Amino acid sequence: MSVRRAFFARLSKGMLEVLLVLACLFLAIAAPGFWSVENLMGVLRSVSEIGIIAFGMTMVIVAGEIDLSVGSAAAFAGCLVAWLVSRGVPVPAAIVLALGVGALGGALIGFLRTRWGVPSFITSLALLTALRGGALQLTRGFPLAPFPAWYGTLGSGYVGGVPFPAILLAVSFLAALFLMDHTVFGRSVYAVGGNAEAARLSGVPVGRVRIAVLAITGALAAWSGVMLSARILSGNPTVAVGWELDVIAAVIVGGTSLSGGSGRVWGTLVGVLFIGVIVNGMRLMDVHEDGQLIARGALVLFAVLSSRLQTAAGAS
Amino acid sequence: MSALPAPDPAPVLEVRGLTKSYPGTRALADVSLAFPGGQVSALVGRNGAGKSTLVKILSGALRPDAGEVRIDGAPVVLRSPADARGLGIATVHQELSLVPGLTVAENVLFGRFPRRGGLARAAIDWRRLYEDAARLLETMDVRLDPRAIVAPLPLAQRQMIEIARAVSSGARAVLFDEPTAGLARAEAATLFRLVRGLAARKVALVYVTHQLGELAEIADTVTALRDGKVAATIPARDISSSALVAMMYGGASAPGPAAPAPVRAAPSAPAEPAADRAAEAPPVLEVEGLGIEGVLRDVSFTLGQGEILGIAGMLGSGRTELLMALFGARRADRGRILVRRAPGAPERQGEGEDIGGWTRLGAPTLSPARMRGLGIALVPEDRKTQGLVLGMSVLDNLCLASLGSVARRGVITRSRQRRAAAPVARELDLVAPDLDAPVGVLSGGNQQKVALGKWLLREPRVLLCDEPARGVDVRAKGQLFEALRSLSRRGIASIVVSSELEELLEVCHRILVLRRGALHGAHRPADLTLDRLVALCMESGAPARTA
Repeated sequence: MSVRRAFFARLSKGMLEVLLVLACLFLAIAAPGFWSVENLMGVLRSVSEIGIIAFGMTMVIVAGEIDLSVGSAAAFAGCLVAWLVSRGVPVPAAIVLALGVGALGGALIGFLRTRWGVPSFITSLALLTALRGGALQLTRGFPLAPFPAWYGTLGSGYVGGVPFPAILLAVSFLAALFLMDHTVFGRSVYAVGGNAEAARLSGVPVGRVRIAVLAITGALAAWSGVMLSARILSGNPTVAVGWELDVIAAVIVGGTSLSGGSGRVWGTLVGVLFIGVIVNGMRLMDVHEDGQLIARGALVLFAVLSSRLQTAAGAS
Repeated sequence: MSALPAPDPAPVLEVRGLTKSYPGTRALADVSLAFPGGQVSALVGRNGAGKSTLVKILSGALRPDAGEVRIDGAPVVLRSPADARGLGIATVHQELSLVPGLTVAENVLFGRFPRRGGLARAAIDWRRLYEDAARLLETMDVRLDPRAIVAPLPLAQRQMIEIARAVSSGARAVLFDEPTAGLARAEAATLFRLVRGLAARKVALVYVTHQLGELAEIADTVTALRDGKVAATIPARDISSSALVAMMYGGASAPGPAAPAPVRAAPSAPAEPAADRAAEAPPVLEVEGLGIEGVLRDVSFTLGQGEILGIAGMLGSGRTELLMALFGARRADRGRILVRRAPGAPERQGEGEDIGGWTRLGAPTLSPARMRGLGIALVPEDRKTQGLVLGMSVLDNLCLASLGSVARRGVITRSRQRRAAAPVARELDLVAPDLDAPVGVLSGGNQQKVALGKWLLREPRVLLCDEPARGVDVRAKGQLFEALRSLSRRGIASIVVSSELEELLEVCHRILVLRRGALHGAHRPADLTLDRLVALCMESGAPARTA
């Protein structure tokens, strides 16, 4: 590779990070109130619910699978906790149960994939509908609010000036980073997504890896749902609609390939922050909601297109 | 058999001075051949002799560096498969190119659907479509329902559809690439009838095959390619196995050229053709009555410690399936496998039944992870789709089969990976810009070294190697074989499958002949010549599966 090519390769590798910094600089000047501790902490809190799921989704997509049910799973988990608490179950036990149910839902997607070859797209699409229905059924269609006041801290509390959800975002980022980059499990995820047959012929337990990444993501989605229910202090069956697309968009903006085998947890973090900063900036600059949606769509397209063009340039 | 046509001034299809190079190899060097109409011209040759390159150029999938293709004496340029089809050159591929979700009739007449008249010009005239297809199939004497969906049809019938498509498009020349691989004998007979039918229509037929036994039955002339050049063309009626071997292998009926210099001096290893020593070695693996319905019949043999055992067989003999079944990568229907436990290994390793230092497993219960645990390793036939994760680094690929032991408590670090992989990379003389480079950028030979090397990280007891030297350069081939010999000296046994029979003669201590899924005797390379071995492999000459 020529020096020049290498330079551009390195530049384009860090392009998203550069763009993130540029966006922050621009907004610091152009958007009133952007460059303040409260606002930046607010951005972190607002991206943490999507972001935590996005780390799991990165594993799922790297493994060559997809999970469309995360939004419904989050809503279902919030409603399940509310319902359990309203029936007298202690809050911690209710949360653990909800996480377990989330993990089971993910494991089911993985099991059907492994055992009968049902694409995860299909099973998770079915769960997307069914879990939403389950959430509506549990709450009879209305928000349930049986929570003690302290429960709210999980969603909107601060620890040492940092929003609690943002701390969890950081923790789950570090955990996912460690898992994907420094463990046997992580290497197996990349191998399964890169070439499942080669992985199988190397003795990698392909089925277990698929089930595991989907179960982890299901549990993370449930946890996000718990945080959301804490923020709004109720189990609401109509929240988190369309989250799956926001999550997948963040993962893709972060450079993970939908065809599996490649992607970075770090990239996903940058993608999550990038989208969060753009949305926040537009809000501060009074861009209408419609315009924000259009801009987010354009952002996803731009991110994927630019990585495509890089690959094409690299290949030639 | 049709009479050879009178010499025609302009054969239907002709190539002149065709040359094609890939980095490192010259696939075709100044090849000139004529394929007259009404004649079945068979192409034979070893892997890498240039057959598939020639077929790819003729079918428009590949453009030559130099030379030209002529149709009816006029030079043509084939830029794409569509160009070739448009000029009347049809191809019946190994992997068929039908649309599985559509009907037989739609596939036969694809792209030439009859239209309705009048205002409905854009609409397909379905009735006529099915009638036309039915008429065509009838003239070919093929019994197929034009309304049947293609997907569930067996290979043989799908092939017939491809041929019908060639006929209906008025093809002047039809290329067949290994058409009988995977066909049963009766199915092959039908195929031959259809090929003859095409010849009777004065179509030029180019017929590539590894199935040397069928040449006399189907071909008019046989052309052998060797190292990208035309070695000879002879009438098929003069064919004999020794003549074929001479054409394909250049008259060398002794084991091939000596291997290039070994990778490294083997420590204190006697230079040996150690056939006798290996035969006396204590067994490490016993296979009893292994069977796969329609593929393998009652395969039993014993492998000695450090022995290099060759499996000689033609394409479709079941040789790949045998290795896949031994590794648990393909489910066997019956049989048992006994693996000798490693010295000092705990009992009940790999969950099998324990008897006196051996682990006994039912063949249908094997899995790759389990066999790996017992010290069995597989270097699969196709490194790109089975052996390697191309997007991952060399380092990650080398560690892929031994992640558990490279890591400590599940945690893996780059330095730990490096420490584990570097000695293997050195031992195999792996040439890579960097162990962190994606394995896909390596040359074929070095990729193959990675596919082998990942098993050397865990000191296997038995290596199953399927085509270990396919598509690699001469130097890497020598190094790979030297690696097998050096493993053998350390007591690691190998089972080697290769369609290059002289490779087996060169490297193996003992060779088993596999024909149509059954073993036919064991031989010592010293007692064999290449043409004898070729003859043993093709004795029945028929395709693998019994109908």
